[in-house]
Amino acid sequence: MSPQGTQYRSPVMALVLGWVIPGAGHAYAGRWGKAVLFAVLIIGLLVAGFALGGGTNIQPNEWWFGAQLGAGGPLLALTPISQYLMVHGEPDYADPVREMGTLYTAIAGLLNLLVMMDAYVKLAYPSIEGPGKGRDASRAIPERAREGA
Amino acid sequence: MWEAVGHFFTSLFSPENPLWLYCPLCAVVAVVYKATKFDEPKQIALAALHFFISVTLGVLVLGFILYAVSKVL
Repeated sequence: MSPQGTQYRSPVMALVLGWVIPGAGHAYAGRWGKAVLFAVLIIGLLVAGFALGGGTNIQPNEWWFGAQLGAGGPLLALTPISQYLMVHGEPDYADPVREMGTLYTAIAGLLNLLVMMDAYVKLAYPSIEGPGKGRDASRAIPERAREGA
Repeated sequence: MWEAVGHFFTSLFSPENPLWLYCPLCAVVAVVYKATKFDEPKQIALAALHFFISVTLGVLVLGFILYAVSKVL
């Protein structure tokens, strides 16, 4: 799951692609394994939440939409469907399962923001190693400081 | 005390209570969050499992405290 090749890849492009399709930022960075993992989990969570809410829980006029918006492209594809179902159906606002579905979609959006930032940071600061490499990222020593020591 | 604990868990797993839907949600959060921290699949799985168990136990303890407070007040 490490980056392939040495050609320059724009961190901003990774950020934008990650918003359009969850996981695409990591695919752009050459991390295909993580890209597939994030795409399956985030789109799966969004669709599961949409289904639990009876397809009526993605509404641009609700506060939840601010968090849901993080899921990007898939969310924008589901929004008109949700609005159509809202007009032609009768959503049960008191249904706790619908509430749980709304929470699923909001968490999917927030998780995608985290994944987008991860793709950005991995390209913008490639020298920072995470705890998986045996060192805490917050304690990573910058290249310049290491050379000066 | 034990009666309250029993009633707490009974209500937690009753069919009309959708709280079991918390489990897949927490599992996805755990895997995605830990996958941003680690690179190796085994490390991701172990860290996500640890995260899932810690958060679930914390939520259960918090839920029981709130349940006990609601019964006392």
